[in-house]
Amino acid sequence: MLFLARQSIRSVPRLNLARVAVGMRQLTTVKTTSQEEQNILVAQRKNRPSSPHLQIYQPQLTWILSSFHRITGVGLAAGFYAVTCTFALSSLTGLQFDTATLVSLVAGLPVAAKVALKAAASFPFAFHVANGFRHLVWDFGHELTIKGVYRTGYVVLGFTALIGTYLTFFL
Amino acid sequence: MFKSIIRLQGTRGMATQAAAQRLKSFKIYRWSPDTPDKKPHMQEYKVDLNQCGPMVLDAIIKIKNEQDATLTFRRSCREGICGSCAMNIGGQNTLACLCKIDQDESKELKIYPLPHMYIVRDLVPDLTHFYKQYKSIQPYLQTKSKPADGKENFQSVEDRKKLDGLYECILCACCSTSCPSYWWNQQEYLGPAVLMQAYRWLVDSRDQAGKARKEMLQNSMSLYRCHTIMNCARTCPKGLNPGRAIAEIKKQLAFD
Amino acid sequence: MLKIGLRAKPTTSIRPLASRGLFIKTIPQPPGNIVGTVNDAYVPPPPTKSHGSWHWTGEKIVTIGMAPLVLTPFVTGTAYPLADSIMGTLLLYHCYAGFESCIIDYIPLRVYGIWHKAAMGLLGLGTLIAGYGIYVIEKTEQEGLVGIVKKLWTA
Repeated sequence: MLFLARQSIRSVPRLNLARVAVGMRQLTTVKTTSQEEQNILVAQRKNRPSSPHLQIYQPQLTWILSSFHRITGVGLAAGFYAVTCTFALSSLTGLQFDTATLVSLVAGLPVAAKVALKAAASFPFAFHVANGFRHLVWDFGHELTIKGVYRTGYVVLGFTALIGTYLTFFL
Repeated sequence: MFKSIIRLQGTRGMATQAAAQRLKSFKIYRWSPDTPDKKPHMQEYKVDLNQCGPMVLDAIIKIKNEQDATLTFRRSCREGICGSCAMNIGGQNTLACLCKIDQDESKELKIYPLPHMYIVRDLVPDLTHFYKQYKSIQPYLQTKSKPADGKENFQSVEDRKKLDGLYECILCACCSTSCPSYWWNQQEYLGPAVLMQAYRWLVDSRDQAGKARKEMLQNSMSLYRCHTIMNCARTCPKGLNPGRAIAEIKKQLAFD
Repeated sequence: MLKIGLRAKPTTSIRPLASRGLFIKTIPQPPGNIVGTVNDAYVPPPPTKSHGSWHWTGEKIVTIGMAPLVLTPFVTGTAYPLADSIMGTLLLYHCYAGFESCIIDYIPLRVYGIWHKAAMGLLGLGTLIAGYGIYVIEKTEQEGLVGIVKKLWTA
């Protein structure tokens, strides 16, 4: 059994007050068990808020590029799955879909839309491949300092800009 | 006679003080378990930088002393070695006692507790689970056999060098709470601080429990939620590199 | 009587921990993510190398294998059917591993239970269908996947 001190501002008998100096708090003890205290602690935990994270953390090359790597990866993979699954379903069901259908879908679009689609495919692809190489470099244990992370990060960004532009406009 | 002199001196003093005040705005995260229904909010305090020490810890102690005694935070050594005052200052996790206040008083400074942690009060996070994770990696020397001379576990200078950059960790939790993977899965992912200490014991030549230590990490969550985001190394207030340590663990485990 | 500190409780009933996922019922987590007392160490799950180091090593081998295969079509301007098929298969596993990592991160088993399993099942099914799709493409298309990209690019 634990005896724990509790502070409570409650009315005290005049007798005690006479002995207590102004400004001193009256202490009372309450008999309790460790299990009761554990229960109070668990109840307190239920009320606790979670501190803010994404909204307050400073944007840094480290996690911004990492987020882009994941986002571009998911986007590219979604496109890959979409095309391959459509081909599969065209073979399994009677759906008429082959390369010619796909090409004709794209061919009829205005030039601006075609360039936009190319850009939407090239830049994420260039970034993801470049950053993928960066991850492989890290996995072998190199460039894992802050200087190395930033150095390779800028190389990846430069590569993305160059190759993305080349793929969109010159290929 | 003397009363008038003192009053004059006092007036002159106040005039010079008011003219030279440099008030900086500090916005600090507040939440109290005594009023749990009141949502966490930011409270603004203005601090005269001319009357304040250079570090953020000096400022919040000054606020607690002079303006708002209910402001709650952890602190102890005031020299960056105990790890108590870890918090998110200006968007980065660091130690308040080592973080210099930006002397530009036109910019406000935002102070939050360590990100994605359960908050006990104001800037105090609940680090219980963090410590439980640290305990789980068995951070102590484990030997199967007694040393050769029966007294000392010998270690060469080269082997001791391998521990440099690992043993200096003060377990402030800045790195773990800067890791997005730890934000999403802190219940199961150990986090950079604990993993760096796991590596510290893996790489200690005197330790003989390496196999068991590696076994403990063989699941999809404890180690492998690390995606080399490297926020940890970026934010460490002691200049350590948990990200590199984790990469080395992965390399050691690769062909097990 | 004014109660402060440990004795203070909200006037409303104790709020349940905010559950993630607004429309899906999630498994309630222990308060504060703390299991047991403050002195108990965290207990990791039993070791499974297939989900641990073997999975990681497999991912890396596939990525390293893909690296030359992804770049050569850009360099040479053409594609070889065998290389294209291999690249398609490696790329399929790479996408599967990537999606799996996202699901484990954002739809973890301990919070979402059957929804996690459903997501993984959907991913598996999609991967099998996509795999068959790659087979179809390699069969019908002269230059395989690279051929499709080339044709779309010059459309």
